[in-house]
Amino acid sequence: MTVRLRYDEDHALLRSGARRWLAERITPAELRRLASDARGDDPACWKALGELGWTGLLVPENCGGAGFGAVHLAVLTEEAGRKLLPAPLLATLLAGKLIELAGNDAQRERWLPRIASGDAIASVAHVEPSGAWDASATTCALDGARVSGEKAHVWAAPTAQLFAVPARESAGGALRIVVVDASSSGVTAAAESVLDPSRRQGSVRFEGAACDVLAGDAEAAWRAWSAWAQMALAAEMAGGADAALAMTAAYAQTRVQFERPIGSFQAIKHPLVNVLVAIEQLRSLVYAAASALDADEAEAPLLARLAQATACEAYANACSRAVQFHGGYGFTEDCDAHLYLRRALASRPAFGGARELRAAVASALLDADAELP
Amino acid sequence: MADELEELRARVREWLRSNLQPAPTFALPQNALTVQSEQQLDWLRAWQARLYDAGFVGAEWPTQYGGRGLPRGAQRTIDQELARAGAPFLVNNVALAWAGPMILHYGTEPQRQRFLTKLLRADEIWCQGFSEPGSGSDLASLRTRAVRDGDAYVIDGHKVWTSLGRFADYVILLARTDPNAVKHAGISYFLAPMRVPGVDVRPLLKLTGEGGFNQVIFTNVRIPADALLGREGQGWELATATLSFERGASEGSAGASSMGGVGIGELIALLRSAPRALQRDAAVRDRFAALAIEATALRWNGARMRVPGLTADRPQALPLMAKLAGSEHSQRLTDFGLELSGHDATLWKDASTPGAGAWAHSYFNSYAGTIAGGTSEILRNVLGEKVLGLAKSR
Repeated sequence: MTVRLRYDEDHALLRSGARRWLAERITPAELRRLASDARGDDPACWKALGELGWTGLLVPENCGGAGFGAVHLAVLTEEAGRKLLPAPLLATLLAGKLIELAGNDAQRERWLPRIASGDAIASVAHVEPSGAWDASATTCALDGARVSGEKAHVWAAPTAQLFAVPARESAGGALRIVVVDASSSGVTAAAESVLDPSRRQGSVRFEGAACDVLAGDAEAAWRAWSAWAQMALAAEMAGGADAALAMTAAYAQTRVQFERPIGSFQAIKHPLVNVLVAIEQLRSLVYAAASALDADEAEAPLLARLAQATACEAYANACSRAVQFHGGYGFTEDCDAHLYLRRALASRPAFGGARELRAAVASALLDADAELP
Repeated sequence: MADELEELRARVREWLRSNLQPAPTFALPQNALTVQSEQQLDWLRAWQARLYDAGFVGAEWPTQYGGRGLPRGAQRTIDQELARAGAPFLVNNVALAWAGPMILHYGTEPQRQRFLTKLLRADEIWCQGFSEPGSGSDLASLRTRAVRDGDAYVIDGHKVWTSLGRFADYVILLARTDPNAVKHAGISYFLAPMRVPGVDVRPLLKLTGEGGFNQVIFTNVRIPADALLGREGQGWELATATLSFERGASEGSAGASSMGGVGIGELIALLRSAPRALQRDAAVRDRFAALAIEATALRWNGARMRVPGLTADRPQALPLMAKLAGSEHSQRLTDFGLELSGHDATLWKDASTPGAGAWAHSYFNSYAGTIAGGTSEILRNVLGEKVLGLAKSR
């Protein structure tokens, strides 16, 4: 175990600032208002995120961002996850990261300032209509600087202005990451009807759309990016799970049956402690993975998978118990439990579900003789 | 400081290279709870004394009490290296991990002078006298009595589950000094001698069929009045502090208390050498990966516990859940290892036999982890109440 956990005053300041802002700005009423909104996010809120410097959190300073690392990202997404922030912040942060990892200097300078300023909502269009999420499965094809193909379940589509897309130079040819401006001709994006209205997604069709083929090693960039994506989503899920636990514990303290708060019953208390234990373990893995990413340690990808696999189970279970322990009220739209349940369920497949990730972990440890990170 | 610890780590490695003794010809137990013979005890005592003389026990304790006064993190560094080298455990476990820290924190100066150096070197062995036949999870209902008589207390009562009881020179003993006070208030805490008239140690067999476990009956036992730790009536507060050390929730241990037996490393080794059909089985791999993830998370829980900024929201959670999560993980893991051993698991072998013998013993012994020092059920109550703020269960 060579990785050391990193967390300093800077991280703590980001957390307290983010928590305060989100608590004021993102309320359950606002979530419900946006749930029935066609676009699903509030442009004024997005503008504020840019002004706060959050959209540029990871963007290098020479491209107009703050140049912060993975632990900052974990802190911000964890806090955003707590409130189910209904804005394409994670999508944009991750798209920027992929462009940074796969592009050359000129390409970073071309695209990243727009992301840093909050001018452009961006998203990685990586999921195949078949459901395969890894870049190796992409069926998008390049013809020079034009891309054709289709992606599904793309976060922030059709709102996003930029897409980063894994594509192949020809069938079986080299993998590339390309950037497509959504306003180019040959790009058609359509909203999907979604389980979780707080995170919108859609399908995107590219028909000979003009694109910027990023110059770096796409395979290496994709591998590195996957770890960032899994870690960041795991952090967001940890925040959501924690919020679901907190609301359930608060309810169990005030709801009285048989002349006692229901939290005094071990049938309620013990499963909630199981939720707590799972969340605490998840947070340990998230910050281990983030610290490993910041130190560029070889263990980072494995730690990120462990975190994401844990998140899939911990978040869904926290929300399942939240609905159940709110009783009849938990079965109503009025209760916030289902808002979290929706996010938990919809987040699971994004970068490999728990079973797929566990299979990868088993492979690493048993077939490739990796050490436990 | 990090450099200092790395230097220490190198020194421990170097020392172990020339001082790690070959295993004796007789079988060693998996942990301090299972010591069954004088022969085992003497060997393990000698090992602890050698480690102490080398400066590797009580590393962070003050020098005036026999410690080495090294900075925070030194003992953990040493313990990690001992575990890595597969070194034998430290037999005076109760003393190093909880009786000793209690004396250091709450003892009088004469008590510290009298006991601490001797327990670090395993010159005196300690056991714990908390549980009684009628007082397990409801520990505060204990009935052992301590009656003041001049310059002595007279102890009468019955203690159970006393590991090392047969070999112990001293016991941390809970007894009721005020029968009229309300439940928790009448209890006092003693550093009581075991080798005095009226102490009757009777062996109990564990579910593995091994000894090492005892009950202790105190009949009209006179102990000196200065055996009292803290004040009369302070016993419950001190018992709670002791349990916090025992559950790994407080730092301050003078040496590795890690239980022997098998863990995730052995499970990986088992599967790497398993028949192909078993190794490729998707259900086996899924369950294995879940355990590997859990084992990794537990290690990182330990690291995160020492980063205040990352525990600010719930500072009590990680310390209070350490034993619960660790012991239940071990139980699941050893059960799985035993299941993977197939028909081999139908054989009962010595604990030191690699393969099924070690898995069976480790699985059976895992219940010591989920029961001793507060059952998993009690710990879930504690976490629910102290961390989640839920109302008390009755």
